[in-house]
Amino acid sequence: MDSSSSQSEFEYLFKLLMIGDSGVGKSSLLLCFTSDTFEDLSPTIGVDFKVKYVEAGGKKLKLAIWDTAGQERFRTLTSSYYRGAQGIIMVYDVTRRETFTNLSDIWAKEIDLYSTNQDCIKMLVGNKVDKESERVVTKKEGINFAREYGCLFTECSAKTRVNVQQCFEELVLKILDTPSLIAEGSKGVKKNIFKQKPQADASTSGCC
Amino acid sequence: MASTSKVVSSGDEESEEEEELEHFDDFTLASSWERFISEVEAVCRQWLADGPKNLLEKGAVHLGSSKNMYKVKSELKYLLKSYGMEYYFEVNKSGKVTDWDSIFHDLQLCFGVKEFLVIAPQSASGVVLDAPEASKLLSAIAIALSNCSSLWPAFVPVHDPSRNAYIGIQNLGTVFTRRFEADRICSQVPVKLMHLEGLYELFVSKFAYSTLDISMHIFKVRFTMKLTYQTLPYDDDDIREVDAENIESSEDRGGNSNNKTQWDDDCPWSEWYSAEDPVKGFGLIAIWSEKMVESSLEMAELENSSPHEAEKWILLPNISDGSKGNRIGFASQLSLLVEALDMSFEAQFMEDFVSAVENPSSDNLKSMVIPSPTVLDRVLKDLLLQGVKIPDFSKGEHKSSRYIKGAPLECLFAQFCLHSIWFGNCNIRAIAVLWIEFVREIRWYWEESQSLPKMPSNGSIDLSTCLIYQKLQMLAICIEKKRELNEDFQDCVGSNDQSSAAIKEDDRVVEESTGLQIPDDNFDRKRDSLLTAEGLHESGMAIPRHNGKPENTGSTDQKPSECIRRGSSGAVGSMMLLKSCQSMHAPFTQESPLMTEDMHEERLRAIEVSSGSFDFSAQLERDILSADMSAFKAANPDAVFEDFIRWHSPGDWENDESEGSSPSGNLAVDGLKDNWPPRGRLSQRMSEHGNLWRKIWNNAPALPVSEQKPLLDPNREGEKILHYLETLRPHQLLEQMVCTAFRASADTLNQASFGGLKQMTMKIDQLYLTMASSLRPLQANTGTSETIEDLRRLCVVFEHVEKLLTLAASLHRKFLHAPRLSEAIFSDYYNYYLPKMGMGSPEEVDVQKEFEMKLQVRNHERQVISNMFTLPTANQSWRKVLSMGNLLNGHEPILREIIFSMNDHVNGSHYATHTPSVHQKEIETYRMYICGTSNDLRVALSVTSFD
Repeated sequence: MDSSSSQSEFEYLFKLLMIGDSGVGKSSLLLCFTSDTFEDLSPTIGVDFKVKYVEAGGKKLKLAIWDTAGQERFRTLTSSYYRGAQGIIMVYDVTRRETFTNLSDIWAKEIDLYSTNQDCIKMLVGNKVDKESERVVTKKEGINFAREYGCLFTECSAKTRVNVQQCFEELVLKILDTPSLIAEGSKGVKKNIFKQKPQADASTSGCC
Repeated sequence: MASTSKVVSSGDEESEEEEELEHFDDFTLASSWERFISEVEAVCRQWLADGPKNLLEKGAVHLGSSKNMYKVKSELKYLLKSYGMEYYFEVNKSGKVTDWDSIFHDLQLCFGVKEFLVIAPQSASGVVLDAPEASKLLSAIAIALSNCSSLWPAFVPVHDPSRNAYIGIQNLGTVFTRRFEADRICSQVPVKLMHLEGLYELFVSKFAYSTLDISMHIFKVRFTMKLTYQTLPYDDDDIREVDAENIESSEDRGGNSNNKTQWDDDCPWSEWYSAEDPVKGFGLIAIWSEKMVESSLEMAELENSSPHEAEKWILLPNISDGSKGNRIGFASQLSLLVEALDMSFEAQFMEDFVSAVENPSSDNLKSMVIPSPTVLDRVLKDLLLQGVKIPDFSKGEHKSSRYIKGAPLECLFAQFCLHSIWFGNCNIRAIAVLWIEFVREIRWYWEESQSLPKMPSNGSIDLSTCLIYQKLQMLAICIEKKRELNEDFQDCVGSNDQSSAAIKEDDRVVEESTGLQIPDDNFDRKRDSLLTAEGLHESGMAIPRHNGKPENTGSTDQKPSECIRRGSSGAVGSMMLLKSCQSMHAPFTQESPLMTEDMHEERLRAIEVSSGSFDFSAQLERDILSADMSAFKAANPDAVFEDFIRWHSPGDWENDESEGSSPSGNLAVDGLKDNWPPRGRLSQRMSEHGNLWRKIWNNAPALPVSEQKPLLDPNREGEKILHYLETLRPHQLLEQMVCTAFRASADTLNQASFGGLKQMTMKIDQLYLTMASSLRPLQANTGTSETIEDLRRLCVVFEHVEKLLTLAASLHRKFLHAPRLSEAIFSDYYNYYLPKMGMGSPEEVDVQKEFEMKLQVRNHERQVISNMFTLPTANQSWRKVLSMGNLLNGHEPILREIIFSMNDHVNGSHYATHTPSVHQKEIETYRMYICGTSNDLRVALSVTSFD
């Protein structure tokens, strides 16, 4: 998956959403993915957002990644961002068990409640594997949860950048495998009424 | 009629004894005819005794045609036939019959009488076809009336109903009797009787050869005439065209190829629809007042005179009520939009409405037609067409517009709403299609960094507008900033920098660091230039001081390079830094980022949930705070955290003593030195261990505003806005559309010129206030089914105002040079229409009378009226052979009414010699009323005679 140099050319626009408890490192993951840096970030307020142009599966893509606040008090603010998301990344901290259990107790329910697309791809990500000594959630537990919930799974570290690129790449490829999501993604493709050629199919669809 | 000899009572009706005697009923010799007479007499006595006042109480029927006329009816039987006898009377008995401009009953006009009786058979035709029967009836009534000493005239309709023929009789005391006769020729009027001359001779012939009792002089006749004209109706072609357009308007508005102009082409609503002119035309009555005519020659001359010579002109506006049939206008479309709002709760996304065809459960959705792609294409192009000049966003705005949470009329979203209500038949599916395509276009402008059409890309976010408008304005600003960033990126560093004078002054201080300017420099150019005047002013004071005492300032010449002052907007009064003997400079800072309503709410809620913790609000402000600190550090290289607090939050710095003996900026430099360093300490919350502000200060790099990362990240905010537009809930969209469409429609109508008619202005003011209150539940997202009902009612109110406005505009343009007339007509119509406006629901069909008014025209206004009677086109004039005179701009009168009369002095009488004074007066002996045109003539004659 290469970063595309040309900013304005893309074939599909996909919206991805990152959820998970406060402090599990969602913003760090995103920053690591979009700008290859790691910073100790302050908590996100409301929702943050990054755009990345990538090429995957031979297609030029624009990824709009929404980074939500993990604090419970912001949860109502972020529910609207579930709408129209083609991919949802659920992040937990391998060193804090409650962030993992909350995924099934709270976050999975949120998805069921707010997500509007049934085909939407979900991915489970265990972050902070660099702190191997403090790990309390095993990889096996992660895999089991992913299997049960029907989603992709990976472990990574935003600090050491292990697996970060691969995690997003896998998600995007999976989306590209799903026709209904591709259809949604192509909706965002730009079109200008003054620039387009007369539509050939206009007459066929205008039966009424 | 010898039967009048059967008078029972004697002639002395003033005697009261006689009155009592009259109540004696004698049936001994009664024949059926006599019984009939007594029956009539009984009824008449009753009516006489009651008088108009009591009759009204007993349920007299008001005659619609004339103001004060009432009638009562009684049924009678005679020889197996039943008759209806009616008594017509006026409540207000004043007024002369010859006053043309008041409204009369037909028989009053014909015969010059006031109250009268009509007796007619209760048959299908309602007339007496048999001549002996008619005279028998009449004599029966005459006897009965004379029995009760009544002077009422009585009439019997005769001949064919279409002839409107009557015979009648009136007992005028003891001496005179008046006989009446009226008839009509419906076709083939003799040429002689088409002209005034001939009609005069007809009248004269009635007495010239009559009995010699009447002393005759020359034929001096009184004459008065009333002519009615009517403006030409629309040509048939015009009407057809109007119809065609109405049909077309639903599907393909505006795309018509006909070049015919409509009356409302320059009215503000013509961009959206063409209204039917409520003023259908005008009638004009020209009245020649009574004059003496002596010869038929004089009559011929009269027929050649123009209506301009008439004494009186009366205008009769013909205004259609328009309540019949569905009127197409903003109101009709707005009510469709309200229905769409009602449906919008049924789906989660706009897309669901478009794809609903595949969904079998939604039958009513299937019936909704989406206009063809070519129409969609045209509407989108129209909507997104970027005008050469930026539209005037205050155009059409009413003083109360802002109470409605909508958008300015000329802006993109208001135009979207107006296009939507005329797109197809404004059903939810059509709206969904238009919205989805619209948002797709908006995304194009965003991705391509093209300026959004019809949106301001500067200024602050107006929170009184609807959220979509706020978002679009924010997007326009983001696009603008993105463009600036891109341009700078491409132009690269240090090229033609149009930075303002303030920056230059800044650069002089910075000197060698100029080369380091970073693309972002232009980011806040706008704000900088705003500050220019102020900045220059301030530095104008500061600079002489610098020059005069260079040793005291933090001048670059003396300082090492890391202490270069950058991004200063000037010294802050006399304040000095704590740790170095330099005056404190205020930096240029970034504006706090623009926020839309929802962002403010989000922030507020975030503060609420954090229960107002001091550190947390600092967290919220972190970006802004950090940017301000960076700028401060750059402007004051030697400053410490305490200095920043003293400038940014003076409340958190506690002075040990009142600072400086002379705090003004003009104080002597020596004084500055004496007071340095200032003594004081930080407030408790600022000096706490681990204070967030200090943390941020420690991490903030010294960066002038020109080098800072912008607080408003245009990429992020723009993408958020598109997400909002793309995932907007249908009901949220429709709620905002309803508010905006109502406001934009009213703002459009508000632009119409109607000559400032008082009632109209008031009505529009009221409409805005009603809209504001009815739409408020939508703005607060508390809409219920009751709200929908309220909105439906609002549509009805809107329709009334729209209708009135159309009329006001139409009248205004017709009477530009005679405003008194338009005011008077509108005022009358307003009062006529007002009671109908009260009703909320359109179902309450009114059976009220048509609007009628008669307005006297003043002399100086005649030309305006005359101009309305445009010369008939060749097409119109060949249809008619003009055969009457008194043409008005080539228009023949549609009705000519003439009254001839002949008066005579009657002195003394054969019978009543003892009361000579009663009869010593002039009485009208002959009177003729002629009504009609050249091929339809009606003549009514009344003749008074001795018996």
